[in-house]
Amino acid sequence: MLEACDLVKRYGPVTALDGFTLHVSAGEIVGLVGHNGAGKTTFVEIVSGLIRPDSGRVTIGGKSPSAARGQVGVSPQHLGLYPSITVREHLKLFGRLAGLRPAALSSAIDDMAVALRLTEIMDRKTGNLSGGQQRRTQAATALIHRPSLLLLDEPTAGADQETRAAMLAMVKQCAGEGAAIVYTTHYLPELTELGATIAVVRDGRIIARGTDDELVQGLPGEVLVSFEDDGEVRVSTTEPTATLIDLLRNAERPVATVEVRNPSLDDLYRSLAVSHDS
Amino acid sequence: MIPDAVRDSLYRIGAIARHNTLIRRRDPGQMIAYIIMPMILMVVLKPLYVRAVPGGTTQVVTGLLVMFSVFALGIAGNSILVERNWQTWDRLRQTRASSAEMLIGKTIPLFIFMFFQQTLLFVYGCLVIGLPVPHSLGFVVLAIVVWAFTLLAVGAALATIARSSGELSMVSDIGAMVLSSLGGALVPLSIVPGWAQAGAHVSPGYWALAMIKSAVRDNASGVLVPAAVLAGLGLVAGAFAVRRLTHGFGRARML
Repeated sequence: MLEACDLVKRYGPVTALDGFTLHVSAGEIVGLVGHNGAGKTTFVEIVSGLIRPDSGRVTIGGKSPSAARGQVGVSPQHLGLYPSITVREHLKLFGRLAGLRPAALSSAIDDMAVALRLTEIMDRKTGNLSGGQQRRTQAATALIHRPSLLLLDEPTAGADQETRAAMLAMVKQCAGEGAAIVYTTHYLPELTELGATIAVVRDGRIIARGTDDELVQGLPGEVLVSFEDDGEVRVSTTEPTATLIDLLRNAERPVATVEVRNPSLDDLYRSLAVSHDS
Repeated sequence: MIPDAVRDSLYRIGAIARHNTLIRRRDPGQMIAYIIMPMILMVVLKPLYVRAVPGGTTQVVTGLLVMFSVFALGIAGNSILVERNWQTWDRLRQTRASSAEMLIGKTIPLFIFMFFQQTLLFVYGCLVIGLPVPHSLGFVVLAIVVWAFTLLAVGAALATIARSSGELSMVSDIGAMVLSSLGGALVPLSIVPGWAQAGAHVSPGYWALAMIKSAVRDNASGVLVPAAVLAGLGLVAGAFAVRRLTHGFGRARML
């Protein structure tokens, strides 16, 4: 569905994308993960047709981004809503711009209101809504026409639990209906919950891609041994079982509890941040 | 039979126009001010103009009509600039609407307002101030349509280069005063120095005033030449605005 090959984008001396390549199939959710400034948002802006790459190629269902705009739904990182306009009026605007005629539009608005829990606030102006309600409204404007490619750039940033749950359920539903989804986030458990494959972005390119299990392989986990006299030993290790056995064998005091923590996506993220800073 | 592509394009323009009408309706203060203020000034300044120059009644109505329609240029500019503040312009660019469709859809409600504003001031001038009723309403309508188009295009072009609402207000307010004064809308050209009379030709306000005065007098050539000048200016400004809006306006740096 989405083919991005060898994208390069520079802003003066800054290289935002440097050989960025990503393929996303219909029905697939790809989570883009990386530190701020890694190139995630630049990639989303190129795919949505806002900016052009200096080199490289993007196709969406075989078409260029500008030709495929009707097939794409975008929820950008920043909120872009009209404060004096109601939620319903936003959905009407974006639905009409996507080509939905009155009957289909009315039905799509009703569906979206239920799916993203907007029913109670449909006739309220977005300037008077909470941050989470605004996030859901923005996502609804991106989804109203059931796009075949969905670009969600940190859609749950600063959102409450209700917003996050509604958003994730909707994303899963869209993927189940065959939409290809690119989902950028710093909240890594969301990607696990979505069952997304993860693409790690650093310095403007994808440096790793796979499931969360595949990506955390080789990262250190942690073994924690607590003693009855309140002391403890904490060891970071890639071989937790062997390390634990070794610690217990050599313990000279009575052990109270042991804890083994396997590497998580957060560890992956931290390791990326450390390598970026260094 | 309308081709599907044209029908789709008209549908999108209609959607944007309807949306912008809603936004305008919910914040009408500036529009009301630019209708009421010239009405009051016409009544107050009429005796002064009638004593100062021959045809003072025509001057006070047409002059203030031109001046306050130029002020309305700021409304046009702000309606575009505010999309950047709200970060909604890029959201519209990510839809199927082209930049030209977005610009046309945005300006239709403003065009209707400007047409309404000028028509109302014209009718008010005839009924209350004593402006002679023109025999050919066609020239009056033509003059109003062309002037509204020019103002919208210039306002849109200004909005694409201003970096803030304050900067746009400064340019449009000072510009409106200078252009309408230089063009003879505030002070009749017959009583200003020769250099000012010669310089008046560079002001769109001069051409607008000449066009509207000629429409009142049913002078066809007096309407058509200024109309052509103003339409040309409007086309150049409109093309500039579309180009700017297509090339990164939504992402441009704000103050």
